[in-house]
Amino acid sequence: MLELKPPLVLLSGPAGFGEYLKLMDHRYVGGVLLKTVTLHPKEGNPTPRMADSDFYVINRIGLENPGIHAFVENVPELPVPMIASLGGDSFEEYLEVARVFKKVADRFHAVEFNFSCPNVKEGGLSIVKNAEEWKKLLNTLRKELPDSFLIAKVGVEGIFVEDAAEFVMKTGWDGITLVNTVRGLHFEKDTMILGGLSGPVLKPIALRAVYEVKKRFPELFVIASGGVYSVKDAEEFLKVGADVIGVGSALFKDPGVVEEIGKYLLEVKR
Amino acid sequence: MERLLLTKKKTIRVNEDTWIVLFEERIDFSPGQFVMLETPKLVRKPFVLGYWEDHTAISVQVKGKGTKWIVEEAEKIKGHGPLGNGFEKPGKGLLIISPTCLTMAEALRKKMNVDVLVGSRTPFQIPLEHETAVGDEEFLRKLSSTGEYDWYLVSGSRGMEKVCWEHLRGKEVYFSLEEYMGCGIGACKSCAVFTKEGVKHVCTDGPIFRGDELCWS
Repeated sequence: MLELKPPLVLLSGPAGFGEYLKLMDHRYVGGVLLKTVTLHPKEGNPTPRMADSDFYVINRIGLENPGIHAFVENVPELPVPMIASLGGDSFEEYLEVARVFKKVADRFHAVEFNFSCPNVKEGGLSIVKNAEEWKKLLNTLRKELPDSFLIAKVGVEGIFVEDAAEFVMKTGWDGITLVNTVRGLHFEKDTMILGGLSGPVLKPIALRAVYEVKKRFPELFVIASGGVYSVKDAEEFLKVGADVIGVGSALFKDPGVVEEIGKYLLEVKR
Repeated sequence: MERLLLTKKKTIRVNEDTWIVLFEERIDFSPGQFVMLETPKLVRKPFVLGYWEDHTAISVQVKGKGTKWIVEEAEKIKGHGPLGNGFEKPGKGLLIISPTCLTMAEALRKKMNVDVLVGSRTPFQIPLEHETAVGDEEFLRKLSSTGEYDWYLVSGSRGMEKVCWEHLRGKEVYFSLEEYMGCGIGACKSCAVFTKEGVKHVCTDGPIFRGDELCWS
């Protein structure tokens, strides 16, 4: 089982490779879900890559990352538990990334596979929409990393989260992260930004997803991701059964909120 | 880098849409560095650090709700910084800036031998001891007639950057770049700059870059 104290993680993407830890008391951070790493290095998308409004943040970073080979040669050393996040553009890439990652797997408390990045051409969305292919991939990755705590990150596009959770359970995976950003479109003056929507507007969608999945599969470990900006948000995700609370884009507004939520979680989960 | 809580001391209007905001607190920073400040919007915004009337200060161009809040309503402002790399050059330099960089100019003048040319689209509402140009025509005229300097540092709009790069071709020119930032500390990768050496980031590799390092197309 993945035991994090407090059950709070900084989420993949906004948390980068742990840079935010410089701004917070580590006692209140249960772990960091590192930025998604792919087989080949990615430069990411042209700018503008992000915009915000009163209710949401939209980003199209495009998974900029150094690639799995550079990553395993230079694994970050952080003062809190680390969860790796791995991605790919095809079945073969996911498998190859897992094979390379094996060398350093014992340095991570868990590994999340990102099956839902909306900001790259393939990025997992095309894999989950083909259910048979995805189940085959889940089985293959489970065999490739038999000792790792495996978490699948899925969004609400391309598949029903209840079905995704069932596949994850049946293929022997340990957990699921619900949800990723949702594809959206934002105008910044005359520039269109087509990217992943996060922030407070995502919370009702993520709450529903966690609620439905935990109702059907209470034993499945769930990291809740989507619109956690306050202690009240964390409280609501606990009510629907989340095992771990993820904080993502709220880091951009106020990294101090992590300590507030962390203190609360330490108190209620003592 | 620290978490900051800044107390606004006063604001001074520079032109139609730009204000200088003075803070009570002192921040130990190098010229060129910036802070990320919290506004009612969901993402903190970057402001280059500087001085005015011997106080730590930033210049703010009011573009929307967040910047309006800083100028008109905020009393205490949360943030983090200082961030990015400082800039220091020997020799005699010329700063070519928009009014949003007036406070940075004061920080640079404390440490370096520089002249300043401020280009504004609208008339100034306070007297300035620098060379000023109002409107594109006057700006271009003054830019063309500047003397020879060892180096140049440009900080303004994209348009101003491009015009300066054309006019100062072959000279040692630096640009203090602005790009949307989510974090300011190298985590989110939103402030990408495409350079001849690959992708860099305004927040951790900049904000100041050499002109010949950048991809201008």
